[in-house]
Amino acid sequence: MNLRRIGILLAKETLQGPRNVMFIMAVVAPVAFTLVVRLVFGDLFAGLPTLGLVDQGDSSLAARAGQMESIRLRTFDSGDELRQAVADGRADIGIILPAGFDQLAASQGRIQLTAYVWGESRLDHRALLATALVSMIRDVSGQESPIEIHQQTVGEQVASWEQRIFPFIVLISIVIGGVLVPSSSLVEEKARRTYNALGITPATVTDVLIAKGALGVLLSVAMGVLTLVLNQALGRQPALLLLALFMGAVLASGFGVVLGALVDDINTLFASLKSLGIVLYAPALFELFPSLPQWISRLFPTHYLMAPVLAIVQDDAGWSQVGPDLAILAILILLTIGVIGLLGRRGRLQPVAG
Amino acid sequence: MSLLRRIGTLIAKDIRLYYLNRFFAFITVMSLVFFLAAYFLLPRQQEDTTRLGYVGPALPALFEQESGGDGVFFVSFDETSALRQAILDGDIAAGVRIPSDMVERLEAGERPAVDLYASGSIPTEFRQIYALVVEELVFAWTGDTLSFEVEEEILGPDMAGQQVAPRNRMLPLLSVLILMMETLGLASLITTELTWGTLRALLVTRVGFGTLFVSKGVTGVSLAFVQAALLLAVTGGLATEPLLLISFLLAGSLLVTGIAFLVSSVSKDMLSVTGLGGLVLILLAIPGLTVLLPGLTSGWIRLIPSYYLVEPMYRVINLGASWSQVGSQLLTLVAYAAVIVAAGVWTLRRRFS
Repeated sequence: MNLRRIGILLAKETLQGPRNVMFIMAVVAPVAFTLVVRLVFGDLFAGLPTLGLVDQGDSSLAARAGQMESIRLRTFDSGDELRQAVADGRADIGIILPAGFDQLAASQGRIQLTAYVWGESRLDHRALLATALVSMIRDVSGQESPIEIHQQTVGEQVASWEQRIFPFIVLISIVIGGVLVPSSSLVEEKARRTYNALGITPATVTDVLIAKGALGVLLSVAMGVLTLVLNQALGRQPALLLLALFMGAVLASGFGVVLGALVDDINTLFASLKSLGIVLYAPALFELFPSLPQWISRLFPTHYLMAPVLAIVQDDAGWSQVGPDLAILAILILLTIGVIGLLGRRGRLQPVAG
Repeated sequence: MSLLRRIGTLIAKDIRLYYLNRFFAFITVMSLVFFLAAYFLLPRQQEDTTRLGYVGPALPALFEQESGGDGVFFVSFDETSALRQAILDGDIAAGVRIPSDMVERLEAGERPAVDLYASGSIPTEFRQIYALVVEELVFAWTGDTLSFEVEEEILGPDMAGQQVAPRNRMLPLLSVLILMMETLGLASLITTELTWGTLRALLVTRVGFGTLFVSKGVTGVSLAFVQAALLLAVTGGLATEPLLLISFLLAGSLLVTGIAFLVSSVSKDMLSVTGLGGLVLILLAIPGLTVLLPGLTSGWIRLIPSYYLVEPMYRVINLGASWSQVGSQLLTLVAYAAVIVAAGVWTLRRRFS
């Protein structure tokens, strides 16, 4: 192993990488997936009713509506803009508050409002928004609630869909870069016979594999951090988080190298990745459905890649909590390196001369 | 050999070659099975009312059946334990227990306590609005109603009480995804032939550029159309305006064929087809989100050609839109498809030469 040669090979891989579509996919897919999940699961399944508002005066109702957790508020500058937004489904109900609205409400005068209703909006959304509006008008007019409400949760508090999908995003960001980049790079070099050409250079197989794996690790860690930033989930232990991401990326890259060594053409690589997908992403499926027996997740190696990251960013876990999982991850990394060594001894990684 | 026979032979060869690629043969069959399974697993109905449990004295007249409009109902229970059990069983999302002497205490000027039970499975944000519903219920007891007049205008078809079921909301999106999958398959087919040199070999026979592109086009349109039409037929999506939907699918198939030409004209191998095609697929899938999140239907999304496929298909399948309502979108889609096919043919020809 020669560090200088590894550096040269890594620089070559890094320069060539962005020209490889798999590299682009490894960058685009986690970001696209994050955006889609945040849009779809963050908005759609939360299912909060949306109120559109035009304030022609300076009503305090808009501020109150903005503070309500149960509704989403969208404000517009004009009635026409509001009407179009409701027609497009950007708000379930649109209200125009006339100038002097607060004074009218405070004087208990007769309130007249124009409301646009999106035809496809749910009935209960309409009713709940109407209730919220009445309540806010009572607030504006200074009316107090006649009762005191004590809230109680029945059953276990279940995580939202957005939270349950999050493990998938973490796994995808680490696994795609880690597995896909080294494996496709190896297979591509084998197919183009440039891998064989390396056999006549001073670079050893170890140098080549470390360089390919290192690019996977770098990309995997970078995408992991970017995804966590996009999801505003960096936790309070940056050093521990980086270590967990790094170790996860090393394991994923190890898998990528093993796969690249075993597979000789790109068709088989894709077919293998499709078949292996369920194994790689299985732990995230268990997070998605909490009613499934969670211990099964621990049987999959990628659990130890995902669980420490989730524990750090979601539960503020420290060294003592994630230590056992990181130890198992370290063992898995050593085992993967062992498998790569075994493949090397069996000649799977040796360039073919001639 | 007549022109038609030559085209037929080329199509038969293309389809055989297509299914020789294990990866694309696999995803073609699997995606159809997966999308069908996804459709049938999605709920067949969309609940658009909220039911809240209730334990307490007789409800005020206004709340006997409904509250604040038509969408929130109170369901009475004899005991709190039954109410809690109904929440645990998932029959209702939340419920309220009102003290039996509520009215007397309100009249005495007291501020009585009310228990609101909410399921742990509902987002915490909803609790606030359920609490407001309960407050309005109590205001109704006090007779303290707001002097409130609303002039209401419903925009678009009023779907109150007849919401589009999630599976039917997804159906146009699934059809479009199936069409787009074929972009990858056809692009890979052309790229493989370019790499192997069989396309050039064909050009030295009596097969000209025109015949070649017509055969590839027909292959692409057939592969894409048949699967999407099959999905719609099996799921009952063709029940309304079948001719109109088939026209959209054909135009959509032409569009994805053109995109496949473009992708293959810049791809070196299957790896680049999958990478580039994947990016295009993500881009084309974005308008599908407008069906799931109608708020996105603004501005730039209308520039993506697949918008003119998925949005009108949604309206035809679920809102009963007719030729006159979506005809202009069909024409826009055909125009987009024609331009993209022409661009694809042009770039592929440049690659040949």
